Amino acid sequence: MATHDAGVASVDRPASTAASVPAIRATGIVKRYGHLEALRGASLDLHAGEIVALVGDNGAGKSTLTKVICGAVLADEGELSFRGVPTRIQSIHDAHELGVHTVYQDLALAPHLSVADNLFLGREPIPAGWRRTVGVLDRRRMVDETRAAMGRLGISLRDYSVPVGNLSGGQRQALAVARAITWATTAVLMDEPTAALGPKQSAIVYQTVSAAAQGGLAVLVISHDIPRMLQVAHRIAVMRHGAVVAVRDARTVRLAEVIGLMLGEEVVA
Amino acid sequence: MTTDPVADDGLNEGLVDDPESESKPRGVWESLKASTAFWIGLFIVLIAIGFGIASAIEHGSPVYWKVSNLLSIGLNASQVMILAIGMTYLIGAGHLDLSVGPSLILASVLAAKVMVTVGGTAEQVAGGEYPNLGLAIVLGVTAALGAGGLVGFFNGVIVTRLRLSSFIVTLATSGIAYGVALVLTSAANIPFIPDQIQSGFGGLQLMGFLPAPLALALLIAVVFWWVLRRTRFGMRTLAIGSSREAAIRAGVDVDVHTIKLFVLMGLLVGVAAVVDIARNANTNVVGHQTDNLQAIAAVVLGGTSLFGGIASVGGSILGTLVPVMLQNGLVIMQVAPFYQFAIVGVILILAVYFDQRRRDRAT
Repeated sequence: MATHDAGVASVDRPASTAASVPAIRATGIVKRYGHLEALRGASLDLHAGEIVALVGDNGAGKSTLTKVICGAVLADEGELSFRGVPTRIQSIHDAHELGVHTVYQDLALAPHLSVADNLFLGREPIPAGWRRTVGVLDRRRMVDETRAAMGRLGISLRDYSVPVGNLSGGQRQALAVARAITWATTAVLMDEPTAALGPKQSAIVYQTVSAAAQGGLAVLVISHDIPRMLQVAHRIAVMRHGAVVAVRDARTVRLAEVIGLMLGEEVVA
Repeated sequence: MTTDPVADDGLNEGLVDDPESESKPRGVWESLKASTAFWIGLFIVLIAIGFGIASAIEHGSPVYWKVSNLLSIGLNASQVMILAIGMTYLIGAGHLDLSVGPSLILASVLAAKVMVTVGGTAEQVAGGEYPNLGLAIVLGVTAALGAGGLVGFFNGVIVTRLRLSSFIVTLATSGIAYGVALVLTSAANIPFIPDQIQSGFGGLQLMGFLPAPLALALLIAVVFWWVLRRTRFGMRTLAIGSSREAAIRAGVDVDVHTIKLFVLMGLLVGVAAVVDIARNANTNVVGHQTDNLQAIAAVVLGGTSLFGGIASVGGSILGTLVPVMLQNGLVIMQVAPFYQFAIVGVILILAVYFDQRRRDRAT
């Protein structure tokens, strides 16, 4: 296991259960914003049961690549395939249908809606019978399942009907993580998932992420916390200037090498 | 009070940013204090008490409190109530519809034209005979709903497809709707609307006391309140108003939902147009131009946030009563009723101010 800062709580990396056919394969992804080329042929494989850390300097294209995979941004060129099947993702809804869910850097929560409403927004449970026709919400089930989902991250709230705007920053982040893990069946993409969390909660989030990977999900984590990524992830993918320039085994790569790859500098072995 | 989220290393620490509200669950009084609708309700009670006492001193009996007077207030507010219900949804979703007044005029004009044309020949309707009365009314009502719905659909499509502000789009649509209405009528009201629509609905009193238009408005309010609180449609409406981006990323088809909201608003405009014809057995081509502002003011007074995400149908109903109650009371007190505009203006500023403070606290 790689060395890391003393203040970082320990999380055991699960044994990789990665399958041979990638759960998600991004090949030659190009995304342009006017004259700016945010992605220049980025390619990346995500396997089921595997945690991949995506690292890179600011502007390297990490968030854009994640947004392409989750359907928030349409690529100009390149191909995405899911479980070996080339697939055109036109929207976030398409990605959800494929079981891909995302923890966004800004969390993408509706502050006026309750904790339970946010967890279920877009996938609301509707009871059978006439209530299905009208679209009546099964709020009891929503609260029960939200309590369980938050509980798995070590969070227990007294009231799950409080607006999310009343939660602390850490609790909001935990909710965003809980939502993605609850609904994902293929992959979870996480953009700085522990940015607002303290060491204890960060450790719990990564334990949950590890458990999700062991359960068969492919996990992609964007983080600037490279020591933590060396500890948690199976592979480290390094982005620079809109492309994935290297992929290394997280168990063997050294921190200095990762930083060197990020900056485009030679690292003396 | 805000906590430093990075320093929040406890698993269950800080349910909310204010630790006091974690230790003491919010009581009924705390909830009421935070509700704009509660304060407007209280203000309405105070208006009623004040004008009741004043009218007793002035006239020897509290005429303001007479049931017939209170029902008259409700009846006079019923059209704006119907508009305010739809506006509550739109504002709750972060939009506005400035076209509801002119759309109401257009819908009522079309409904009246259909009723008169289908009701009988020109000679027959001029003589008060309507051999096709039932069909005329059904088609007239359909025309009103269709016209309102189409204007709403147009608004929704333009707002979502061209990514334009609903404020500007509906301001433009209001001009288009009013212009079309004037062209169709040459700015003259449409004569020979069947009186039966007035006797059978507009002037009807259910159970001998409850005006049918008011009953209809309250029924619509109950249905829309329930939908907003209990259904996926209501939840998604407020989600869009709270954070459009969050709703999109949760997989909600925000554009389709927004179009539905504008169509719903348009259909309610059609209902209000029918109520208008039924109450007066006439069209009012030069009226209703400020109905949009009355509806928006009522919605904001009732506690719906102009910034979206928070909406109260009940509060909007109370909000529609404030100007009508003030006007009614001032007339009874033989004071120029125009003061109501100034009073409502002051209350509106206060309501928006508290809404702004609430928003600042939430962020």
